[in-house]
Amino acid sequence: MKKILTLLPVILLTTWLGCGGKQEVRKPTIAYTPLTLSNPFFKVIGEHIKAEAEKNGYETLMVDPDMDVKKQSDQIDDFIAKNVTAIILVPCDRLSVGPAVQAANKAGIPVFTVDAKCAAQGAKIEGHVGTDNFQGGELAGKAMINALGEKGGKVLILDFKKANSCVLRVAGFKKIIDAHNKKAEGKIEVVSELDGNGDRTKGYQSTADALQAHEDLDAIFAINDPSALGAYTAVKEAKRENKIKIIGFDGQLDGKQAIKDGKIYADPIQHPDKMGKQIVQLIVKYQAGESFDPETLIPATLYTKTEADQDPELK
Amino acid sequence: MKSKLDARKLLSKYGNVLVLLLLCAFISIITLEEQSPRSPAAAKQLAKNIARSNSKGANVIVLVRRGKDQQEFADTLKDALTNTGLNVSESIVGTPRDARIALKKQTTTIAAIAADNHMATFCADQLPNLGKTITALSKTTVFQPQKHKWPNFLKKENLLNVLKQISVVAIIAIGMTMVIITAGIDLSVGSLIAFSGVITALSIQQLSGNADPAIGHLLLGSAAGILVCAIIGMGTGSLVTLFNIPAFIVTLGVMFIAKGLAFIFSQSAPVPVGNESFAWLGRGSDLMGLPNSVVLMLVLYGIAHVVMTHTSIGRYIYAVGGNPEAARLSGVPVKWVLVFVYTLCGLLAGLGGVMEASLHITGDPKSGTLVELQVIAAVVVGGTSLAGGHGKIFGTLVGALIIGVIRNGMNLTGVEAHMQSVVYGVVILIAVMVDQLKNRAQKSN
Repeated sequence: MKKILTLLPVILLTTWLGCGGKQEVRKPTIAYTPLTLSNPFFKVIGEHIKAEAEKNGYETLMVDPDMDVKKQSDQIDDFIAKNVTAIILVPCDRLSVGPAVQAANKAGIPVFTVDAKCAAQGAKIEGHVGTDNFQGGELAGKAMINALGEKGGKVLILDFKKANSCVLRVAGFKKIIDAHNKKAEGKIEVVSELDGNGDRTKGYQSTADALQAHEDLDAIFAINDPSALGAYTAVKEAKRENKIKIIGFDGQLDGKQAIKDGKIYADPIQHPDKMGKQIVQLIVKYQAGESFDPETLIPATLYTKTEADQDPELK
Repeated sequence: MKSKLDARKLLSKYGNVLVLLLLCAFISIITLEEQSPRSPAAAKQLAKNIARSNSKGANVIVLVRRGKDQQEFADTLKDALTNTGLNVSESIVGTPRDARIALKKQTTTIAAIAADNHMATFCADQLPNLGKTITALSKTTVFQPQKHKWPNFLKKENLLNVLKQISVVAIIAIGMTMVIITAGIDLSVGSLIAFSGVITALSIQQLSGNADPAIGHLLLGSAAGILVCAIIGMGTGSLVTLFNIPAFIVTLGVMFIAKGLAFIFSQSAPVPVGNESFAWLGRGSDLMGLPNSVVLMLVLYGIAHVVMTHTSIGRYIYAVGGNPEAARLSGVPVKWVLVFVYTLCGLLAGLGGVMEASLHITGDPKSGTLVELQVIAAVVVGGTSLAGGHGKIFGTLVGALIIGVIRNGMNLTGVEAHMQSVVYGVVILIAVMVDQLKNRAQKSN
């Protein structure tokens, strides 16, 4: 009995220590709570935040709200209790995160957003670094026109309406397609817009359903890589991978690999490395009391098989 | 032999309290960190230090980062410095930008800057450069309050955070404890949180029309959300008793229905509430600095404890869980008791939904995901047996605290999310082990 009693705390402590919990955070701290760390995109941002922060003498505290705005709000409360120097946030919900941001405002802790913006009223954001999603969507539209050629075709869009950034991507995409349809012979028709939830599972399910409904589908535009790869799985299952062209977004490692392997036609790619670096540079400027532009949009660039073949990162 | 037995008894009664205390001690140790005090006493001490190393009449600037209590700190500091005969030429509570602008304007020689820790870091970084161009700052020294070591975990603000963060789960866990004591389960509470939040927000919108909602609208809307969930709970209870369907199945069905309805009614988008005072329940703190949600939680636990230990309905609940047949034969209205516990559980889930909506001033159909499992975990960690018949209301509060404390400790030290999930799993298993020890202790009596 006694043995078991003494074992309990030991088990707990070792689990904790084993997972690297004991970090001595003494330097000024930048806290980072992204949408989710299971999406490599936010991990890359986090790693570059960490590297740039270290260069400037800051510690980084990185937590994962797992897409849950309640968890994220709790984490922000914890940051306030810890009295961190600055908070970097990718809002899990652009409205509901508002009260937590206001609490940080009240405590005097500056809040910055990266990738997605916070749209809550009365929540003060000191600075934002993101991708120019509308321009990225336009790139996707141009790539789609290239992919389908003169005869046009039928397109499925896998969107994610909960994220404003993804809404902008679709808007940019449609702008180019609409402009193209006004003058070109072969029209490009968006036959369906389904929710891809930005992940593989839902991207797969929605595409599988769309393939049933539209026998003559020619192409898919997915608002990020995970849903594009989910779409590819469904297309391959239906043995239509030679006919259907997929355009993704993001330029994550597995997305890039898929482009090299010919599974995805092209990606407008974001630059999470630059995003992580530049957001910390904003914080450094803020802390130094210098003036800065509160919004930086980093343009997306198009990544096709040509780029993928020269990419040393890929196999 | 006797002392060994006593230890066993004690363990069986307070095993989870012991785990909680050990956890608190452990987290306190690993979150030990240098703190920079912001109390009036610290301000006075700082003023004394500055006076000691500067002659009377020397110019001092007070520089403090904006934020809660910071104005008070700056004012106390200013008064204390003036009292010691120093000349406070300027007092700034603001952002680094404000500080920089103010420092650049200085023309008379500044002997010292009295700063809080954030502004002290700013000065350490920027003063060497500023001093080169602005002669008034070339000989300035920076003073900040004496640092001392104290665990981040044990700060009052943080402890209140922990309580606030567990309040929704803990309140629903009251109902869940009663359900589990009757040997049932309720998987629908997480979905009911979302449903109640959406219904509340939509009712408030409907009631107020296009105008900004008044307090009465907020109260009525919240009542609607809670009532609807209580009715759903009553339906669950009726299905369980009338048709004898296992609670697991019934509540699983209700879980899907409520979740779906929450998305349908809200059209899959969060429903905003157009009045900031709706945040009163979730974010306000009125009674001696205690968050309102925490006060509500403690009051409800007090009531539930009395109900379970001093009333006939409490005894009935234990009886039904212990042996329903024996309970029926001795005149306990078994079916009514079951309907009562599911109704109460639904009602409390509805209340939880209102609290959650209040926290974000939005009815969010996504909220409450997997909360049912957190609630069940709190109940189990609190020592209530899933087999029914045994369990204590305050045990559940301790269970919720254990989970909340671990979560907070891991966030403070930056443990990665998936590892957090592993730790939760370990804690639940340990709780079940403690439960087993308890059973053995009871048998040996």
